[in-house]
Amino acid sequence: MANLFMFHGRECPHCKRMMPLVEKLEQETGVRFDKREVWHEEKNADLMRSYRPIIAAKCGGQLKVPAFLNPDANDAVCGEMDYEKLKDWALKQS
Amino acid sequence: MKKRYWRCFVCNDIHCGIAPPELCPTCKVLNGYVEISAEEARRILGGGPGVSLTADEFRAAIERFTAGHEFQVNPDREKVDLLVKGIFENERNHGLKYCPCRLRCKDWDEDLGIVCPCNFTIHETYKGVPDGECWCGLFVRRK
Ligand code: SF4
Repeated sequence: MANLFMFHGRECPHCKRMMPLVEKLEQETGVRFDKREVWHEEKNADLMRSYRPIIAAKCGGQLKVPAFLNPDANDAVCGEMDYEKLKDWALKQS
Repeated sequence: MKKRYWRCFVCNDIHCGIAPPELCPTCKVLNGYVEISAEEARRILGGGPGVSLTADEFRAAIERFTAGHEFQVNPDREKVDLLVKGIFENERNHGLKYCPCRLRCKDWDEDLGIVCPCNFTIHETYKGVPDGECWCGLFVRRK
């Protein structure tokens, strides 16, 4: 199974909106995201920064949250999206 | 071009930029700015008025900022509450009012680009978008 991350911020409304969709996706498909909060956990922030080339390339040059990342495939997608788009992206990774 | 520091010789306003303002916005003297060092600027500002800004004052400040612009603060109160909380947490924990929906990369100049309010008018979520908003949704195009 692919090694997927979700980088999120505690006070980011997009992340708040996406979290239940991520949880639903995990329940329905068995896909798992390693969820890392980045504004209050410096270790997670450093981890996200270490993937900057992959994330920035897919997210308008910036470290936007939420960021969904597959480091092994150099693929990422950021921001709010509907359930089907997130599901397509996640299933494409496995 | 590199920004430098300037001081008004009449009222001691400090300006940081590639050139000084012709007209001092405080005392209205013309061509009153003289170049100073970063250290002088820091000392003058450090001894200046100790102005703090509460979350409510920040909200009032961004409301005033949007007046006369084609954008406004998002009427979604719950969203704004969450964002302002994050902006203030980031200031407390990381020094400046960083955007809660992006992570700073730890390059000082680059990270100034995500201090709130940022120049969201160039964001792909705003520019040319009829119901555009800043990346976080704190500011939305006025209807
Ligand atoms: S995207 Fe919005 S909330 Fe974030 S820094 Fe810019 S103006 Fe502030």
